[in-house]
Amino acid sequence: MFHSKRSYLLLILFAITAFVGLGFVACGDDGEEGPQIGSVDVLGLWGDEELVSFEAMVAPWETDTGGDMAFTGTRDITTVLATRVEGGNPPDVAIPAEVGRFQQFAREGKLTPLSACKGLEETVKANYPQGFIDLGTVDGVLYGFFMKADTKGTIWYNPKFFADNGYEPLTASSTWDDLIALSDQILADGTPPWSIGVESGEASGWPGTDWIQQILLNEAGGDVYDGVIDGSVPFTDAKVKDAWEKFGEIALTEGYTVQGGAEGINATNFVNSSYPPFESPPTAAMVYLGGFASGFITDQFPDAVAGEDFDFFPFPGGGVTGGANIVYAFNGDETTCSFLNYLASAEAQAIWVNRGGFTSVNSQVSLDSYPDAVARAQAEQLATAELFRFDLDDAIGGAIQLAEFDGVTQYLANPGDLDDILSDIEASR
Amino acid sequence: MVGRRWWTPWLWLAPALVLLGVFLVYPVVDTIRRSFLDERSKNFVGFDNYQFIIDNPQPLVSDTHSALLNNVMWLTLFTVITVCLGLILAVLTGRVRYEAVAKSTIFIPMAVSFVAASVIWRFMYEFNTEIGTVNATVTSLGGEPTAWLQDTGAPQTWLTQRGPDTLPQPIQINNLALILVGVWMWTGFAMVVLSAGLKGISTEVLEAARVDGANEWQIFRRIIVPILSPTIVVVATTLVIQGLKKFDLVWVMTGGRFKTDVVATLFYKEAFRIGDFGVGAALAVVLLLWVLPVMVIGIRRFQFQEETR
Repeated sequence: MFHSKRSYLLLILFAITAFVGLGFVACGDDGEEGPQIGSVDVLGLWGDEELVSFEAMVAPWETDTGGDMAFTGTRDITTVLATRVEGGNPPDVAIPAEVGRFQQFAREGKLTPLSACKGLEETVKANYPQGFIDLGTVDGVLYGFFMKADTKGTIWYNPKFFADNGYEPLTASSTWDDLIALSDQILADGTPPWSIGVESGEASGWPGTDWIQQILLNEAGGDVYDGVIDGSVPFTDAKVKDAWEKFGEIALTEGYTVQGGAEGINATNFVNSSYPPFESPPTAAMVYLGGFASGFITDQFPDAVAGEDFDFFPFPGGGVTGGANIVYAFNGDETTCSFLNYLASAEAQAIWVNRGGFTSVNSQVSLDSYPDAVARAQAEQLATAELFRFDLDDAIGGAIQLAEFDGVTQYLANPGDLDDILSDIEASR
Repeated sequence: MVGRRWWTPWLWLAPALVLLGVFLVYPVVDTIRRSFLDERSKNFVGFDNYQFIIDNPQPLVSDTHSALLNNVMWLTLFTVITVCLGLILAVLTGRVRYEAVAKSTIFIPMAVSFVAASVIWRFMYEFNTEIGTVNATVTSLGGEPTAWLQDTGAPQTWLTQRGPDTLPQPIQINNLALILVGVWMWTGFAMVVLSAGLKGISTEVLEAARVDGANEWQIFRRIIVPILSPTIVVVATTLVIQGLKKFDLVWVMTGGRFKTDVVATLFYKEAFRIGDFGVGAALAVVLLLWVLPVMVIGIRRFQFQEETR
């Protein structure tokens, strides 16, 4: 009895081994049929509508090549990506928003240069703005390209409310003082001029850093801005401090925000903060958030018409900050290269541009592809900006980015501690 | 008879041992190793990572002092409130007619996914009174809305004296708000276990006390609590460990922001968000050393109970 049971077990073991072995052999046979487009594993940020649009964008590639995209979308992409790379199981392609970690991966030799894919580097160098090419380059090698850009030089307002009350939208050549004058005028008429919310879970504070970097770029110029990123200008510099205080002037002046000051701003989610100017009647006049805010507005107010019910004017001062998703690869095999070549192309990006919510930095994508005037104006602002800089904290990344987020929430709660906060941010570098 | 070989028990133990080795022993050893290496786990740095925890050089992004103090808060307040509430509810629900219904209601939060419960409570605490139930209640009673999850102030003026300059104020409105959610989740557990212990107390003892003229409070204080004390210790150790390793609730509700970080959220943030495996591992080791004695007490107690049975 005992004996026969054991042989039975052995038989099962043998069967399993044989089965697995056969499987391997079968796979080997498959591979010998020559190079073929297989499945590409992509890690990105998108879900919901954005994912539907991305899949629509990828669909022609899947049909044409017989390839298949396996997409994992997570807001926690920095963490997931770091864990997978550390564990030796990186995705084929990553599409995050932050470039600090990208530079680290590149320096550690984990990434594949775009030159490994035939024609890709040439396409990117010919059709993408130099600023984005520089950002994708680490130690002289091009590792990544940018898609789905967002301008962060946009102040959203309600055109009807402005027209009814005789307020003039500002222009790129307006100044900071004009912005304060407009705010005072609106406040004097009885409406809080601003809506600000910086709550965003673990990343709470980032909308404040957007304000500060936009002010810094306009008031202190591109060189100081670049210096803060590379470390030659510390956060404790007087010009940086001035940008923080100007942000405080808007956020902390009595009556300026519908949130009623620091506590409300810290506790209001950034998505919800984009609604007040478009309620009826509006409970605030303006909200400063990147181009992506048009999506929040149309989600909340489905009947709102771009250009009539909501529109933006450029952040006064002429400089434009913005963010974008960077695309980079952890290997250079046939499938990955074919996928990257497709994503970088104008015809692929025009698909999502046309669906809305996507601004392309590929110069071959026609402005006519954009679904409405507001979306087109965003693309134009990015394309024609004389002074453009990539989002400051996304460019630095890592601990200092989180420190800056925390600095914003602490500054709002305790504006008197600004000097300590700035030196604490610098200490995280 | 086919004899038992010496390795037979090991064969049956093997699957469990392999799982333990792969998923417990190896990670623990590797975490300890990494806590003495630099952020990319390449060079030996001695006790630098532990020095980082003591010195707290980056108070904005990883406030180690605040995290340790918050853990002390969780450890004490969470455990004490939950055990006391659980005990009171166990005694009270034992006396009502709809015992099963009452107990199930209190136990339900335990059955809800902790992440889901945290998301629900984020809405409850929302600042906007159109969304946040708590603030809607407060304002309808004539109060001002409070940013429950962002307010780092002390809840009462008599508590506002600050500690030494380098130490954060441990008793904050948002910490208390988080701990209360933890209490809401775990009271059911404490109640059910304590209630089972309560049922084990023989009625003769209680009746004898009543005959001797003891009132209900004296019976509770002098008889029920002493007899229940081993069960209370078991519940308390479970809760202490829960309080120490709290992660999900804090991470979902505040992301550890506004000085609500605990050691578990901070080591996750250091290791995976910032990418400093050295400091992350060191924090994990600190947490392990902290939990270890509690676990030993818990297991000892359990063995003692088994022996005396």
